[in-house]
Amino acid sequence: MERSFKAEVAKLRLGAGQTFTGEGILAVTKALLQSGVSYVGGYQGAPVSHLMDVLADARELLDELGVHFEACGNEAGAAAMLGASINYPLRGAATWKSVVGTNVASDALSNLSSAGVVGGALIVIGEDYGEGASIIQERSHSFAQKSQIWLLDPRPNLPSIVRFVEKGFELSEASNTPVMLELRIRACHVHGSFETKDNVAPRHSRRNPIQKPVFSLERIPLPPANYTQEKHKIDVRLPEALKFIQREQLNEFFPGDLRQIGIILQGGMYNTTIRALQQFGLADPYGESRIPLYVLNVTYPLVPEEITRFCSGKRAVLVVEEGQPAHIEEAINSILRRADINDPHVIGKDVLPMAGEYTGEVVLNGLAAFLGLTLPDGVDLKAVEAVRASVEQAKTRAAELLGAPVPTRPPGFCIGCPERPVFTALKLIEKELGGIHISSDIGCHTFSTLQPFNLGNTVLGYGLSLAAASAMGPNFGKRIITVMGDGGFWHQGLTTGVANAVFRNDDGVLVIMQNGYTSATGTQNIPSSPDLSAKEGSPIAIESTLRGLGVKWLERVPNYQVADVADALRRAMTTEQKGLKVIIADGEWRTRFGIDDDVCTGDRACIRLSGCPSLTIKDSPDPLRSEPVTTINSGCVGCGLCGEAAHAAALCPSFHRIEVIQNPTGWDRFMHGIRQGVIGALSGVGAASTPRSQPRNDRGVDAAPTREAR
Amino acid sequence: MTRPITILVAALGGEGGGVLADWLIEAALHEGFPTQKTSIPGVSQRTGATTYYVEIYPEKDARPPVMALVPSPGSIDLMAASELVEAGRAMQNAFITPERTTLVASTHRIFATSEKMVPSDGRYDAQKILEAAPKVAQKAVLFDMSRMAQEAGTVINAVLFGAMAGSGALPLSRAACEAAIRGAGKGAEASLRGFAAGFEHAVSTLPGDRADHASPPLPPGERAGVRGNEQDTLTPTLSLPGRGSESDRIRREFPEPLHALLEQGVARLADYQDVAYADLYLDRMRGVLAVDREAGGEAGGWKLTQEAARLLALWMSYEDTIRVADLKTRASRFARVRKEAAAKDGQIVVVTDYLKPSANEIADILPPAWAARLRRNAGAGRAVKLRTSDVSGFLAMRLMAAMKPLRRRSARFIEEQALIERWLGAIKRLGFAVLDAELSLEIVLCAKLVRGYGETWRKSHAAFVKILDTLVENEQAVARGADALRVAIRKAREAALAYEEAKPSAATAKGKPVIWMKQG
Repeated sequence: MERSFKAEVAKLRLGAGQTFTGEGILAVTKALLQSGVSYVGGYQGAPVSHLMDVLADARELLDELGVHFEACGNEAGAAAMLGASINYPLRGAATWKSVVGTNVASDALSNLSSAGVVGGALIVIGEDYGEGASIIQERSHSFAQKSQIWLLDPRPNLPSIVRFVEKGFELSEASNTPVMLELRIRACHVHGSFETKDNVAPRHSRRNPIQKPVFSLERIPLPPANYTQEKHKIDVRLPEALKFIQREQLNEFFPGDLRQIGIILQGGMYNTTIRALQQFGLADPYGESRIPLYVLNVTYPLVPEEITRFCSGKRAVLVVEEGQPAHIEEAINSILRRADINDPHVIGKDVLPMAGEYTGEVVLNGLAAFLGLTLPDGVDLKAVEAVRASVEQAKTRAAELLGAPVPTRPPGFCIGCPERPVFTALKLIEKELGGIHISSDIGCHTFSTLQPFNLGNTVLGYGLSLAAASAMGPNFGKRIITVMGDGGFWHQGLTTGVANAVFRNDDGVLVIMQNGYTSATGTQNIPSSPDLSAKEGSPIAIESTLRGLGVKWLERVPNYQVADVADALRRAMTTEQKGLKVIIADGEWRTRFGIDDDVCTGDRACIRLSGCPSLTIKDSPDPLRSEPVTTINSGCVGCGLCGEAAHAAALCPSFHRIEVIQNPTGWDRFMHGIRQGVIGALSGVGAASTPRSQPRNDRGVDAAPTREAR
Repeated sequence: MTRPITILVAALGGEGGGVLADWLIEAALHEGFPTQKTSIPGVSQRTGATTYYVEIYPEKDARPPVMALVPSPGSIDLMAASELVEAGRAMQNAFITPERTTLVASTHRIFATSEKMVPSDGRYDAQKILEAAPKVAQKAVLFDMSRMAQEAGTVINAVLFGAMAGSGALPLSRAACEAAIRGAGKGAEASLRGFAAGFEHAVSTLPGDRADHASPPLPPGERAGVRGNEQDTLTPTLSLPGRGSESDRIRREFPEPLHALLEQGVARLADYQDVAYADLYLDRMRGVLAVDREAGGEAGGWKLTQEAARLLALWMSYEDTIRVADLKTRASRFARVRKEAAAKDGQIVVVTDYLKPSANEIADILPPAWAARLRRNAGAGRAVKLRTSDVSGFLAMRLMAAMKPLRRRSARFIEEQALIERWLGAIKRLGFAVLDAELSLEIVLCAKLVRGYGETWRKSHAAFVKILDTLVENEQAVARGADALRVAIRKAREAALAYEEAKPSAATAKGKPVIWMKQG
């Protein structure tokens, strides 16, 4: 685990009347325990990783309560886990990154929602949409709709989020339907506080196990049950849900004096919308809005009665719905039409963009356009336009002053990342063998597609890179190189990829990045992690797993030996042997390199083979050189890649390895003295400072003053 | 009516931006103010640009207001940036507006990959950001926080926090901020030192009119984002015998604006080979000066001669294995390595040089006849890892360096001199014929191509020769007129300098930020 969550775990123990202060996703975690869950599962991924991390560190508390926690193999596993609530009154929760996680989970989700649940089933999805998202941009709403899973999108403040975790379980049980709680990235990471309740030990758990199995053919997706299940969803569960939503007032109405217009918005969009209203002087700091608001904390199903009530008598309503298709806007239109209410003009995706994140600026412009269209009495449109225009002007001014747009700074491999050198070797092989088709996977290693490597032609999903190469192999002039992380390998690469490739005797090359954990999601354990906790059992070695599957050609190479990795790749690409060839890249070793700036001629070939943040440039100390030279800055952790790369590619003689003997022995010093004597004499002007024995209070090269208070 | 104070912090992954945001929250709670923080940590862990957004409602124990989770352009009170280009990004996104934004930013640079991978110099012109800052912000506090952090022995986030507090834009007392840092425990003392330094510096630049915080120009070291550039190894050689007479020559034969540069060139070449070689340099420069004079270069400050003096000195001191060995065995080099390694007295530094001289590079220093034979059956280079800090390794290097006198008879020396003469000949011939300083300059600048090692050198060297063959010395090309020729030469040169990998990807080519950069 990357960090310890002791402090967070302590917060999970807070009782009635106390105040929890912290992240949104941790508030959810606490709310789960307050709701008496029997089990929690999921698959890590930003922005919900911390829910998993904290519970993994909270074993003791979970044991006291009898709550079963499980880090599942993938999202499908986590969704299937909810099957425990189909026949039994067990409250359970699963969490993952959406929409990708929901995609993986969809088979189990469809079966779960069709069968229905008796115990509350809550799915906490981190909607990875917009700024900071590292996945394809789709909305999970469509999933909820097609499977009749109720979708909660609460206002993004802690008390509201916590309330909807608790209400989510009640809604699920009241309507025998699984419920999704959608939290956007910033809502997961929003820092706030709420008043806690005591944790509730689940009715049934390891402490009080269920004794009698329940068999009910109605829960099995076979004819005729599968048909009746679909009808049951619509005829029974949906009406029950609508009743509950209204009775508990899950959606909120906020009055305003500008009655002829109104805004219908997703709960998650509330704060951004209020901010826009505040900028136009149409709302006060406490959110008292002059325009009436109807806040959908439940975005599916919609409650026709509430919508008709809010819209009647209005000239126009603005629908603030992030993402596409415009499910909510379309539903509102049809609801009003069916109710034969035709006066309000429903405005949404015509003033707000159909696709893309609804940032502060987007909502500001959309709201301005809405007001411009509807011209409500009592609103100073000039003032509104002035505010909107000032933002435009600021941008234009900056563009003029800056001349060129500033360089982008996408995420990349961390300093010292063991994955980077593998791509350096791949780059060398690519140059040597000519163009190579590379099938990439999900993980930090996807950054290889960015500068400076630009390696990787397709990304099809987590653990799917080898499967994605299966049709390329026979149709491409050279062998395909597939890259997969150990995280993706266990997520589904093992079965979908390797087993099938061996079974079909595919003739490809698979490079497995083995760093022992899922690094992109925050270093969680996987079956092959070396340091598994007692609960997790003993590690499963990828190497023996592959041999067990019948992989004949298998090599393990140390990442940082760039030349060796390149050799292994060359062998794999050129060997006569057919069948899948697997290279496992792992291992770390550390040495620090330096660059002689009077030898460097600044062609940057070394940087184009590395992209390490610590391998950078500085003005040349040589007055005759107008161009900067390459240098290694103080952030260097001494992974040794830059020197190895320059060496493997025979770039230039500027690199040298530096080892500091921290605490030399007497003999070391004696020999050093002799060397210094000779070197000093022959290198003329004042030899390198001869060391005198000193109190050894230093921390050596790697403890550069940086990263002390991190 | 009170409105929340909005604070946007732009930082790079690993700079402690998250910790800074936590400090802000703690300090606000300490004051009894409702506060909220959001971030997108997924990106920040991986060295990308990221932001932290904090809102503080400056009313003691007030009923919590509705605070935004995303920063809104035109509504930021305090914009903090841990690096200069990130401040520029904030300007681009209208997070800095003259009506209300105080900008607190560090002036040091951390270069983006796209800047670093360009051959020669792809750095963004950060001076523009410094000049824009006072114009787009209501108040601007700009100084090198990276250096200050190093001096205080802490991380930049502490200095930045101090500067934010000192800027007066935070509704938080200094005491509250320091309490927050103490509360965080780990490394608190160092952080407090950094905070104090940043705080006092910010206060000293405020209050006052715009002039007070007008942007300071970046000193050279800072422009490169790295300070304390090492002592240049050429200095000792300035005392070489004979240098005096060279100086006299320079004074006699060249106009004053060129003296400093030519002194450098002479020193470099006398050190590289001998005084006679430095004389040859001056002889060659006289020819270029004549062309420059004819074309009225004096008006333009002798630009042609300046560039030629620089590039010729570099070319004449091309890096062969003798030169490399010489540079790597200097006392100043060992001193520099110790400094880079931050080695304390009492520690021993072992230096291992990674060399891979290809057959060609060996051939370079052999007499032409032998060289030809070796080159015919040239294989790949043999890897040598030499412990230059050991007596044996050092002596091996020194031996190579000692071949300096033989260099004049080496194959490469003869080839380079021939090519230099060819280049100078072209400059003079076309220079006098066309009297177009611009055209001559284009030809001079082509000498940028003859540099580097191994494959890089081979490629660009070939490109250089091709430019001479197909343009500079080509009848038809010359016949097309000076303008056409000038453009053709520049295009060819730039094409040769731009590497495949350096060609920007579609996204960056349009200057279109990638999705996670939208706000950052």
